[in-house]
Amino acid sequence: MHNVIQAVILGVLIGGVYALMASGLTLVFGIMKVINVAQGALVILAAYLSYALFTHLHVDPFLSILVVTPAMFVLGVLVQVVFVRTLRGPDASELSLLVTWALALGIEGVLSVIFKTTFRATNPSYANRSWDVLGYQVSEVRVLAFCASAVLLLLLSVLLTRTRFGRSVRATVQNPTAAALLGVDERRVSTIGFGIGVSMAAAAGAVYGVLYPFNPGSHYDLISRLLSIVVLGGLGSLGGAVVAALLMGVTEAVVAVEISPTWAAFSFFVVLLVVLLVRPQGIFGLRERTL
Amino acid sequence: MTVTPARRLAAVLVTSVVLAAAVVASGTAAHARTSAGPIKIGISLSLSGDFSDSGKAAQRGYKLWRNVVNAHGGVLGRKVELIIQDDTSSPTQAATNYQNFITKDKVDLVFGPFSTLLTAPSASVANRYGYAFIEPAGGGPAVFQEKLHNVFFTQPAPALQSGDVFAKFLATLPKSQQPKTAAYPSLDDPFASPIADHVRGILEKRGVKTVYKTIYPSETTDMTPIIQKAASKHPDAIIGGTQNGDAYAQIKAMVQLKFSPKFVFLTNGPNDPAEFASKVGAKNVNGIFSTGDWFPQERSPGNAAFVKAYLAAYGGKSDTIDPTSAEAYAVGQVVQDVTKKIHSIDNKQIIATLHTGSWPTVEGVLRWNSIGEPQGSDLLVEWINGKLYPVFPASIALHKAVVPKPPWGG
Repeated sequence: MHNVIQAVILGVLIGGVYALMASGLTLVFGIMKVINVAQGALVILAAYLSYALFTHLHVDPFLSILVVTPAMFVLGVLVQVVFVRTLRGPDASELSLLVTWALALGIEGVLSVIFKTTFRATNPSYANRSWDVLGYQVSEVRVLAFCASAVLLLLLSVLLTRTRFGRSVRATVQNPTAAALLGVDERRVSTIGFGIGVSMAAAAGAVYGVLYPFNPGSHYDLISRLLSIVVLGGLGSLGGAVVAALLMGVTEAVVAVEISPTWAAFSFFVVLLVVLLVRPQGIFGLRERTL
Repeated sequence: MTVTPARRLAAVLVTSVVLAAAVVASGTAAHARTSAGPIKIGISLSLSGDFSDSGKAAQRGYKLWRNVVNAHGGVLGRKVELIIQDDTSSPTQAATNYQNFITKDKVDLVFGPFSTLLTAPSASVANRYGYAFIEPAGGGPAVFQEKLHNVFFTQPAPALQSGDVFAKFLATLPKSQQPKTAAYPSLDDPFASPIADHVRGILEKRGVKTVYKTIYPSETTDMTPIIQKAASKHPDAIIGGTQNGDAYAQIKAMVQLKFSPKFVFLTNGPNDPAEFASKVGAKNVNGIFSTGDWFPQERSPGNAAFVKAYLAAYGGKSDTIDPTSAEAYAVGQVVQDVTKKIHSIDNKQIIATLHTGSWPTVEGVLRWNSIGEPQGSDLLVEWINGKLYPVFPASIALHKAVVPKPPWGG
């Protein structure tokens, strides 16, 4: 039982970080029906930026979020304007899949050239410390990472529910045509939305580099996890992404401890399959309205 | 046009005859060539693709050897010329490159590429044409199971036996200090888990109880649940078949879970003197064992000169020299010695001669069995006071091993 509880603690803390990464993905999909498969690569890019700031300028990785996030927001806006917005016609969604995949490979290539393919890790002095709580080891960075993720997700949620921009986003998610008729500038919403999606990846990336060793190829594994989280939670649903990410974190950790690490990643897909059989739209997804 | 079975058969027969003739012709040509001019050596290397970091390291080693040997008058009085082709880390391209070196470029000798994956098919091509295949980095079972007599692997031991040195070391400790239980968390990788399995086989026979073993898939990023499970069994030793990323994550997980076993041996990761400490924190390295085929401070034949020449040519620090460069350099050393001994660059004679005697290189003094498996032992290394030292076998030790492992620094 001790092992299971320890695993649940780990799973919840890690799930929070995955939720942050997935939030950007689900937001972008919600607004413009673009599946940004470069989200994983953007997370890794941010991990490298934060790593570089830490090693060369001794900027604390958690503080580096304040620098990396706005920088990556700008990058996201540029990517949307240059690559994604230009896609037109009925195949735009499918094409965006290819374009963002190309972006992912491009980022991987550039990182391989600059940083080589060896593993890196951002190692602040507190990276491996943990608190002893009732006999359970609670890693300090994981708690910090979870809190940072929670704060950012809360900010994102406030932005979406309490601001004029948020209302435009939600209107676009629910019914783009009606939103446009009511004067929502869909292009502006898409561009800013994409930028926010990327900046969520950026914040998560800075944290990711402290938690795990990474190399330019780490994004393949990340994106498969993130896509599963987003599908399980319901495409376009922020709350769904959070719940699904926590579910994934806990399932994987518990299965790895109690059964075998070989089945850990797979077990989450079993959950995904079962949920999709019962609720094809995901846990919090809305059934697509058809005419 | 329809192709009848008879016609197809005829076509196949004609092609085979032509190919066979070509093989015989080129084989003869290879043996007959004794002209002056430079000695041409064909090498396929992964200069792009997945293995490009290591491929380039091998290239540095080969080129350094060429420069050194040419500065000293070459091989048998002839200059050495390397013909290096990129194989994009693809086994088929590597095999094609060797085919071209031998049949089109008519090189005198060939040297091996990087990794077992590329060495196995390439060695077969070389074998078909009667070329010796002295190779720096193909030490896996795929290379040796072909049972080729032209293969010579220039590292002290085959890849899967590289962890055995840790078992040998444990046997030298007083009984009271030896571990009684062990856990084996290993990566699902042909060059990780089988090494730990081999060590486990030896230790189990010696009565060391296996309290936990698991093989995790390469996509496992979080090592904490696995280490947590291992820790709950309270093993004296953690023996992990690892690559770099998962090794770093295992150590971080042990520190975070405040689990400090008496022995930690990981097959890869801790053996990188330049990278390891920065990945797990300098306070958490002491007492960790790993293994390797070459170390910058090693007192092997020609090693000090190699390190000096390397730093002069490429800069950097000795700790950052990739062992692959030393392995490639050793290939050159072997060729230099064997040609000197037989006064010829005849491949048939080279193969026959290398199967006898022992050959001094920066990788140690090498001997091979009939299928090219080296008969030595890798080095056991340990982090002591924040530095990586060879500690076993005693003949190469630069520091006395420290056991048990001191507690984590946090």
